[in-house]
Amino acid sequence: MGTKKVLTGNYAAAEAAALCRPDLIAAYPITPQSSVVEHLAEFVHNGKIDANMVQVESEHSAMSVVQGAAAGGGRVFTATSAQGLALMYEPYFRMSTLRLPMVMAIATREMTSPETIWSGQQDAISVRDAGWIQMFCDSNQEIVDMVIQGYMIAEDQRVLLPVNVCYDGFYSSHLTEGVDLPDQAEVDAFLPPMTEDNHPVMDPENPFALDPLTAGPLMMKYRKNHLDAMAAALDVIEEVDRKFAAAFGRSYGGAIEEYRCEDADVVIMTIGGMTGTGKDAVDVAREQGIRAGLIKLRFIRPFPAKRIAKALEGKKALFVIDRSVCFGWSQGPMYMETKAALADAKERLCHFSAIGGLGGADISLEDMLGVIRDLERMKEEPGEKETKWFIND
Amino acid sequence: MSYIDILREAEDQVTPGMSACQGCGGELILRRLLQISGKNTIIGIPPGCMAGAGVVGWNYANGLKIPVHIPLLDNTASFLSGLSQMYRRKGREDVNIVAMAGDGATADCGFQSLSAAAERGEHMLYVCYDNEGYMNTGYQRSSTTSLGSRTSTTPIGSAINGKTQQQKYVPLILAMHNVRYCATASPSHMADMVAKIQKGLAASKEGFAYLHVFSPCPTGWGYAPDKSIYYARRAVKSNMFPLWEMDNGVFKLNDQNRSPIPIREFVQGIGKFKALTDAEIDALQEMADARFALLKRLAEKD
Repeated sequence: MGTKKVLTGNYAAAEAAALCRPDLIAAYPITPQSSVVEHLAEFVHNGKIDANMVQVESEHSAMSVVQGAAAGGGRVFTATSAQGLALMYEPYFRMSTLRLPMVMAIATREMTSPETIWSGQQDAISVRDAGWIQMFCDSNQEIVDMVIQGYMIAEDQRVLLPVNVCYDGFYSSHLTEGVDLPDQAEVDAFLPPMTEDNHPVMDPENPFALDPLTAGPLMMKYRKNHLDAMAAALDVIEEVDRKFAAAFGRSYGGAIEEYRCEDADVVIMTIGGMTGTGKDAVDVAREQGIRAGLIKLRFIRPFPAKRIAKALEGKKALFVIDRSVCFGWSQGPMYMETKAALADAKERLCHFSAIGGLGGADISLEDMLGVIRDLERMKEEPGEKETKWFIND
Repeated sequence: MSYIDILREAEDQVTPGMSACQGCGGELILRRLLQISGKNTIIGIPPGCMAGAGVVGWNYANGLKIPVHIPLLDNTASFLSGLSQMYRRKGREDVNIVAMAGDGATADCGFQSLSAAAERGEHMLYVCYDNEGYMNTGYQRSSTTSLGSRTSTTPIGSAINGKTQQQKYVPLILAMHNVRYCATASPSHMADMVAKIQKGLAASKEGFAYLHVFSPCPTGWGYAPDKSIYYARRAVKSNMFPLWEMDNGVFKLNDQNRSPIPIREFVQGIGKFKALTDAEIDALQEMADARFALLKRLAEKD
């Protein structure tokens, strides 16, 4: 089944996007995303895939061109990072609020300033309230699988929302791993072509105004529908994970992945590429007699609050590592949201925010083990502790 | 068929209830454009007067009889690029993909996406109705506002007298993008405008077509609504707005205008020009003369 290949994260995203038979790809280069669109351009120029490739002049136009194509009934793809995502914010927000399905890869990168091109998740995290479904990968295999699953989730009639498949710039985008790349026939069997009536399409044979001026009371209904679709997506994510497992033999656990959590006292929560180090830290801590476990936050939009609360039932201590910051709170954003998901965390859990890996900085095994040991020591003292910064000079 | 017969027979694609100002150049241009492009058209109309007048839909109702979308102020050409490519992909190149955008959405914040779509040769007809400012939001200055004009953001003040810069001349810039067809038009010269809309639509099946249309605005410019066509004609006669086209790289002056009227006459009676100094009128004259001379050179046969 499939072909074993050695791929960078960017090539993994490109190969997977090609397998989904996109009608149109629009893209603009930006480090560390560029090789996604270079690889797709290579496919198109060599006739390997039948897609329109639009070489736009900016990310703003990349999102606008795919928006137009989606409004014309096309399955579309693009990819970006950091400043590119910031530049495309205007049509990005509109893609989700127009309820147009698509998949966009984000090779995540720190936001300037200080001037940087290196890894971080501040870009994707900063647009978490723009109405997109957002998920984070920690292996190149997961990138392939989630691009494919992404279209199925996005085009589901209960959802109809665009999906971001995020992975850490350089750490995932540029490092190679062995990947089981599905065959075209397998992907075709799993992901049927988008149907003509998947979403309203602009057509002179059925004239309508796409997005007329909309008064407040109707706007209220649109927003509620959008949020309801987000909530429905939580179930669809789990369903698609099961379907994918049945077809390809790989399951990721849906919106979160739990690792050695069953009997754990102290739990670390990770997002994206740091998860591998986190799992190693859990294994080492267990060898040292600490009952440690890990929750990998896979989807941040919709936020899997109930599953997180359930996974943390009976646990004593928790820290959440963010590769981004929440300005104004001196804490990490996913830590903030996890706290919001745990109404009684204050009384029950010892917990704190950990921030690391900004601008390509390393999050080491020692960083993780250090805080696991801190947690173990403080686990009988519930309440919020001071934010831990992984600053290694 | 004469343009009068064409317009008499073609169906109006605007639904009743449109709320443009009396004497609006933009409304006239939109109605003629859609009469000629017909039912088999998808149009993008970004924020601006035509969108504000309700043709993009309002109160659960469509403002046009054809599919219409209000793209962002700055992405009309790129949104339509994606749509146009999908229609070609579906084998439905007969569908006209048309933009109708003001000068702000064209020359200012939409310029980048317009320039890129033109350079890529996307199949569409992009029409700019140039009323020389952001009229829908109360006449703020744009890059096509002419020198000395009174606008809300370049008021006539005791220290600064209106707009201090000359206008940007967008159509020639678009022509330099190797577009398939590029032309200027004025509602005062309807036969010429109808022919150019027809040529532009035909050209849009082979590449990018751009039409820059003079759009007089009684509300913003400050003159009586029944004078719109009068001032549009005088803009052409004074060489403030020369009529020309570029078809497949070949330039042509559509109106040789052998006895132009002076700019000083053109600006008479238009409120936005009421505080022009002699020096500003001279500068406008110089700009108009230089532009016309350049266009004449471009249109010369070897």
